[in-house]
Amino acid sequence: MKKNRLVLALGLILMALMTVGAQKPIEISFWSLFTGGDGEFFDAMVKAFNESQNEIVMKTDTVKFTNYYTKLTAALSAKNAPDVVVVHQSQLVNYVPNGVFLPLDEYVQKAKIDLSTFSPAPLNSCKFDGKLYAIPLDVHPLVMYYNKDLMAKAGVTKVPETLSELISAAKAIQDKTGAIGIALDNTTATYKAYTLTRMFMSLLMEQNTTILDASNKRANFNNEAGVKAYQALSDMVNKYKLVPKQLDYDSSVSSFKLGKAGFHFNGVWTVGAFESQSGLNFGVVQFPALLGKNAGWTDSHTFAVPVQKTIDPDRIMAVMKFIDWMTQHGEMWAKAGHIPTRTTVYSKPEFKNLPHRAEYADAAKNTFSAPATPKWGELYDAISDSLEESIALNKDAKAALDQLEKKVNDILK
Amino acid sequence: MQSRKPGLYSCSAGFRFFEWRYYYMHLAAHTKRDLILFSAPFLLVYMAFLVFPVVYGIYLSFFDWNILSGKVFVGFRNFVQAFSDEKFKSSFFHTLQFVALSTPILIVVGFLMALISVRPTKLGKTAESIFFLPYMFSTTVVGTLWAWLLQKNFGLVNQLLQAIGLKGVGWLTDPNIAMLSIVMATLWWTAGFNMILFSAGMKQIPDEIYESARLDGAGKFVTLTRITIPLLKDTTLLVVILQIIASFKVFGQVYVMTGGGPYGTTRVLVQYVYETGFNYFKLGYASAMSMILFFVILVISAAQLLSSKDEGQ
Amino acid sequence: MKKILLSIVVAVLIALWLIPLLWLIITSLKLENDVVTDHLTLFSASPTFKNYIKAMTTTPIKQWLLNSFFVASVTTVLTLFLDSTMAFVLSRMRFRGRKALYLFVLAGMMAPFESMIIQLYLEFNTFKLLNTLAAVIIPRLALPVGVFILTQFFNGIPTALEEAAYIDGASRFKVFTSVILPLGKSAMFAVAILSFIGSWNDFLWPLISISNSAKYTVTVGIANFQGTHGTEYALIMAGAVIASIPQILIFLFFRKNIVQGIAMTGIKG
Repeated sequence: MKKNRLVLALGLILMALMTVGAQKPIEISFWSLFTGGDGEFFDAMVKAFNESQNEIVMKTDTVKFTNYYTKLTAALSAKNAPDVVVVHQSQLVNYVPNGVFLPLDEYVQKAKIDLSTFSPAPLNSCKFDGKLYAIPLDVHPLVMYYNKDLMAKAGVTKVPETLSELISAAKAIQDKTGAIGIALDNTTATYKAYTLTRMFMSLLMEQNTTILDASNKRANFNNEAGVKAYQALSDMVNKYKLVPKQLDYDSSVSSFKLGKAGFHFNGVWTVGAFESQSGLNFGVVQFPALLGKNAGWTDSHTFAVPVQKTIDPDRIMAVMKFIDWMTQHGEMWAKAGHIPTRTTVYSKPEFKNLPHRAEYADAAKNTFSAPATPKWGELYDAISDSLEESIALNKDAKAALDQLEKKVNDILK
Repeated sequence: MQSRKPGLYSCSAGFRFFEWRYYYMHLAAHTKRDLILFSAPFLLVYMAFLVFPVVYGIYLSFFDWNILSGKVFVGFRNFVQAFSDEKFKSSFFHTLQFVALSTPILIVVGFLMALISVRPTKLGKTAESIFFLPYMFSTTVVGTLWAWLLQKNFGLVNQLLQAIGLKGVGWLTDPNIAMLSIVMATLWWTAGFNMILFSAGMKQIPDEIYESARLDGAGKFVTLTRITIPLLKDTTLLVVILQIIASFKVFGQVYVMTGGGPYGTTRVLVQYVYETGFNYFKLGYASAMSMILFFVILVISAAQLLSSKDEGQ
Repeated sequence: MKKILLSIVVAVLIALWLIPLLWLIITSLKLENDVVTDHLTLFSASPTFKNYIKAMTTTPIKQWLLNSFFVASVTTVLTLFLDSTMAFVLSRMRFRGRKALYLFVLAGMMAPFESMIIQLYLEFNTFKLLNTLAAVIIPRLALPVGVFILTQFFNGIPTALEEAAYIDGASRFKVFTSVILPLGKSAMFAVAILSFIGSWNDFLWPLISISNSAKYTVTVGIANFQGTHGTEYALIMAGAVIASIPQILIFLFFRKNIVQGIAMTGIKG
């Protein structure tokens, strides 16, 4: 009897030892800049990833957007950055040329990630000198939201596609319902008034004009195309008075959310907030071809892998698996309003069943990114301030564009 | 009755210290040791963690550095560039605006609050706690709260105004008012600290002085202007210098409330420094601008300190 | 009559000062979708603690509060020690270069902190102290403002008591601990508040130096309630209340103690 018990005890101990000695999951550190609503969806995805397998555990640390890059830059300068980070595509040009992110081509091959399942435009924007330095999770372009109830009330039957259609539709809504015609933020408060710049760039692109010249060394908008683009924006505010002056970002979003505005220009990221508003009957389309062909500003959230003091291939492969899983489950991320980058996601029923997403999935086809110059950060801010000022002070197109051109060229000198 | 006023003690006492060394051998013998022992703890930490980063910063201002790659020596170019940079000049001007607006208001209000709170009444004690309470909140909280209160379309203040038939004001979106709104928020936030300093100074004034003034028939106003205010010289100097320095370094609440807007009309210098370093990756230039600001603050504070010491002596 | 008028003015001022605080609390008790309304809604129809629950259950805010408490307390105690000893030197000892040293110490509070972040970061990286609470504590220990305040106040303390002690053969250290410090109590309190609150509300440096969010201080943690694409006021306000309660309680508690302490030592003239 005693011998049996001894054997049983030994057997149990052996089993315990075996499970302890068994593969412990790799802990991968990760920084994201998704707070608020975005953050909740993203954290849910990471949780699902952790639960879907037991080899890798993702430990996420989140930093509020306005301080995220400060922290990331400091960490990268000392090679203290985590295993994988979220980086805006527009920011890559500040980091990649300094050699702080790993080129991913070989790891993508090893992890058998099928790059052909990615939308080409976002993927290509992550390539520098032919090498892939980041993998895009989403694109989040500029779109137009419209309030279906207000449109019906004002007798507007067609979603505007041209500039004149937009003006008359907004006017009708304003006159007949008392609501704001167009909610377009034109003043900086807690959030900077970037929408004006995004629209300006889009309007230029609709006329086949990039905001900087091909070499990214000079301004390219003090011309007929620029005048049309600026005039369109300024008229909405100053001539037709369809946009309230001194409207900041939060107010612009809130106005549309409360059903107090007919049209709203913003990125796709506010879809979730509008959906949670009971009683708001809205639709969303890609940025309309107001001045030519369809073209919409976009940025993109990407995953990048910081260069560490010592390169550990196992950790990098774990990261690759994580990126693969996250991009493949884009329908979960789409709940935050962003457009997934893997075409395989579009055919999933979970994605198709999300309201609105199909409406603007076209938007991904006609998007363009910011110019790939390290000076873009400074340019973006300067252009925003200048456009904001010109429209607030109702400057004529020539004056506004002259001032803007000078500022831009001074920075690019 | 003593004819010496408190403010002069340090000067006449200074003379007496040297006397003491001759009278008290035990003090003279240990002067050097005491000097080192008493100042070493502070100075060691200070040099290592405050002086070093500043000195390193001065060094950086002679380079171009994007933080992630190598430094490129550029000599004085960053400084020259600053003086022809429109954004630097306007940011500096906005900082000066803030200093000019906030300093007198915060000092006077802090003083008045102290007068209210030194009374031993219940109202006085309540006032002290309520006036000081906002100081507990962090920059981000104060900024967000006031941004929300003053929001043009949905904020409380405008909604109250509209409820009584007035039009809403662009508190943070009108370039003529934005800076004033920021000063108002800063007043609510930090006047309480000036109050604490002033009331600590008031409590140091001996009761006997007030007693004898009362016996001499001095009224409230005369007591205030002829006795209290002059005796608070040291404290006032302290409050003024601290307030000026704090106002020159303003950044957090401005950034949250207006982001430097509308169209950069409230952008203060520290915001431009921060954005230049971290958003535009030009740390050398950012350091140069910080050094200029540092130098300005240093000169102004030194001038105040040195001129007042002379007055005392 | 004048007294009543004065009292009314004071009461009005107190009320004005309270309004933003009340609005902070009221907003924190609203549902997020009820915060932004196009008509004046002073009070929420159905106040809810949902935001507080969300803040406390979806984030490690309790851990953050403990971290803050630890950091702020240690910082304050050490700062009082460092600053008061330095102030003693500057106020009570005469030597060549004293004025220059004073200015040298004060200069430290004139450089904007934002211009020192990268330098500090690289320094602490070299010492391998990043991502520790020590890294959060150390830069704030030598507080020039504290030295300034204490020196100015020590300057105003009459020398009579010290004289008596020195005549009796007391050492400088004895005079420091039994004469100067007790007499400078209210100034020490001011510096203690400044140090504690400054440490508690410190944001940028703890954010940069700590990479593990479990080690965050509460001010850094609740900053993340600011959304990437929109402000969630109710949640931010709830976080602010939670983050500030400990400080407010400490202040109210110590206020009484210190006032009593001053009264008991009977220091007047």
